[in-house]
Amino acid sequence: MAAPGTASLLRAAAASSRRWLLAASRGAAGRPSGDCVAARTPGRFFGVSARARLSSEDKVTVHFINRDGDKLTAEGKVGDSLLDVVVDKNLDIDGFGACEGTLACSTCHLIFEDHIFEKLDAITDEEMDMLDLAYGLTETSRLGCQICLKKFMNNMTVRVPEAVADARQSIDMSKNS
Amino acid sequence: YHHLLMNEKTVIHERFLPKQGSLQEMPGPKTLSNLVEFFWKDGFGRIHEIQVQFSQNNYGKIFKSHFGPQFVVSIADRDMVAQVLRAEGRTPQRANMESWQEYRDLRGRATGLISAEGEQWLKMRSVLRQKILKPKDVAVFSEGVNEVITDLIKRIHTLRSQEEDGETVTNVNNLFFKYSMEGVATILYESRLGCLENNIPEKTVEYIEALELMFSMFKTTMYAGAIPKWLRPFIPKPWREFCRSWDGLFKFSQIHVDNKIKDIQSQLDQGEEVKGGLLTYLLLSKELTVEEIYANMTEMLLAGVDTTSFTLSWATYLLAKHPEVQQSVYEEIVNNLGKDQVPTSDDVPKLPMIRGLLKETLRLFPVLPGNGRVTQEDLVVGGYLIPKGVSSLCHYATSYEEENFPMANDFRPERWLRKDNMDRVDNFGSIPFGYGIRSCIGKRIAELEIHLALIQVEKAFPSIPTLCIHLQESFKRFGSD
Repeated sequence: MAAPGTASLLRAAAASSRRWLLAASRGAAGRPSGDCVAARTPGRFFGVSARARLSSEDKVTVHFINRDGDKLTAEGKVGDSLLDVVVDKNLDIDGFGACEGTLACSTCHLIFEDHIFEKLDAITDEEMDMLDLAYGLTETSRLGCQICLKKFMNNMTVRVPEAVADARQSIDMSKNS
Repeated sequence: YHHLLMNEKTVIHERFLPKQGSLQEMPGPKTLSNLVEFFWKDGFGRIHEIQVQFSQNNYGKIFKSHFGPQFVVSIADRDMVAQVLRAEGRTPQRANMESWQEYRDLRGRATGLISAEGEQWLKMRSVLRQKILKPKDVAVFSEGVNEVITDLIKRIHTLRSQEEDGETVTNVNNLFFKYSMEGVATILYESRLGCLENNIPEKTVEYIEALELMFSMFKTTMYAGAIPKWLRPFIPKPWREFCRSWDGLFKFSQIHVDNKIKDIQSQLDQGEEVKGGLLTYLLLSKELTVEEIYANMTEMLLAGVDTTSFTLSWATYLLAKHPEVQQSVYEEIVNNLGKDQVPTSDDVPKLPMIRGLLKETLRLFPVLPGNGRVTQEDLVVGGYLIPKGVSSLCHYATSYEEENFPMANDFRPERWLRKDNMDRVDNFGSIPFGYGIRSCIGKRIAELEIHLALIQVEKAFPSIPTLCIHLQESFKRFGSD
């Protein structure tokens, strides 16, 4: 159904320099498409080499308390979002970050320690709206996709809220009772 | 045991039920009277009324009914809605889109975000959401949207000058329809259509006609999907019109996408650097095939026109009916923004009343009366076991419940203002854009177009009442994600 010539054009585009891809992606996003300031570049366009150059000074250690109480410890780079850390390190947190940081769900909801929470960057209206829909909300809740690692967060502990008591679970409970 | 206490009340309730009720036990209208309601009493056009009537008067917060031949479990309770949406898996399904898929198979077309399902849907959603769903990615569209708004304001002046009283705009929704179309095309195709010109280009006129045909036929086409295939030879019109309007929509999208392909080709031939927005990116990155790009551009454009225009019409209508609200919106703009500044998305957080106005408008007049979710496994909701199948979430009913919104029938945008950043409302009562990974992908674009247009219209015409005549109800179609 594609117009004649379309396929050859796209082959040409692909064969040509990555410069064009970059220009196009910047055009759409207007700025680097990462969530946090100047840290994440679109992985699709940049090799691993740029990341590897970062020194250990830029590393931040984060402890996650999972729903079952297990502690998961992971390291991320300054500027990474907490969602990036969970994804990059393959942390086994069920259903976490379903919408990939696009502020369409609240599955990356995390609970912070008071002293860390107070120092977090200001919350946007859009995050507040999504947080309203989060399960098990607390006074120190934020969405992990919106929180970017900074040095002061080193060794902080964040808690994953209790699992949503969804319908599947209640079926199991009724079977047990 | 502690976590059980924190569970939603419905679930706690279920735990102590000896067993779940079956679908047979669920209340609902008798099949025959239901069919009469749907086909003979314009049930489709009155979905929202029936929702409220059934949930508040007849059957309670969860009931079964037929939507044409389709069996539907309707859920009109905030907490149960939350429960169903939170249980969704990787690739939620909204509704039965067989008729849309059938057209695409017939014509050898690809499916787009609305009509696709499963992994195919997820693949496209993953690409598109990274371009048009994050607020900061959408913020860069402010400039393009503002150019369209400048033309909108100009157009309003022209229309007013043509009227006898020099003030009235008689068909506000038609005006906003053109604004929305121009706005979404600017973003999707990276080009202007000329909808707001005094002389609209011929190609655009054709497309507007195809769109209007689609919308005017929408109810018929919903019935087209509801009419069994074997009946088509006897009642051919709905299906024929359905195909004809899709032909027009696909044709228009294809023209614009092909034009962009030619532009890129000539830039490449001349060794120029290719720069562009969404469509350029999609064509160059090859994450989607060209057919998938045609399909998504078609479906996203279709989804982004009357949805936005009806909402803008209702918002201005509500302002016109409530001069005191209009006054406070106007004062907020003048005080927090200044009279001469052209607002961008960065300015919207300074104007909480504008955000409240949009939320309140959508609570009272949601574009879709319900959010569909096809259950992908057995669920227990409200004490009933719902097997894999269809459930429908009634957000029109929940957004009019006193329990969720005190003085629910009143227009009160200030109910959405937060006292401070810690002020939270647990609210699945009004989710006009849906929730989760299959929520409206155009949500942020729609917000941008509506917020910025309302600010500018309000600034240019602090007294709206005479603008707003001839509004029609907006509950005439199902929208999209």
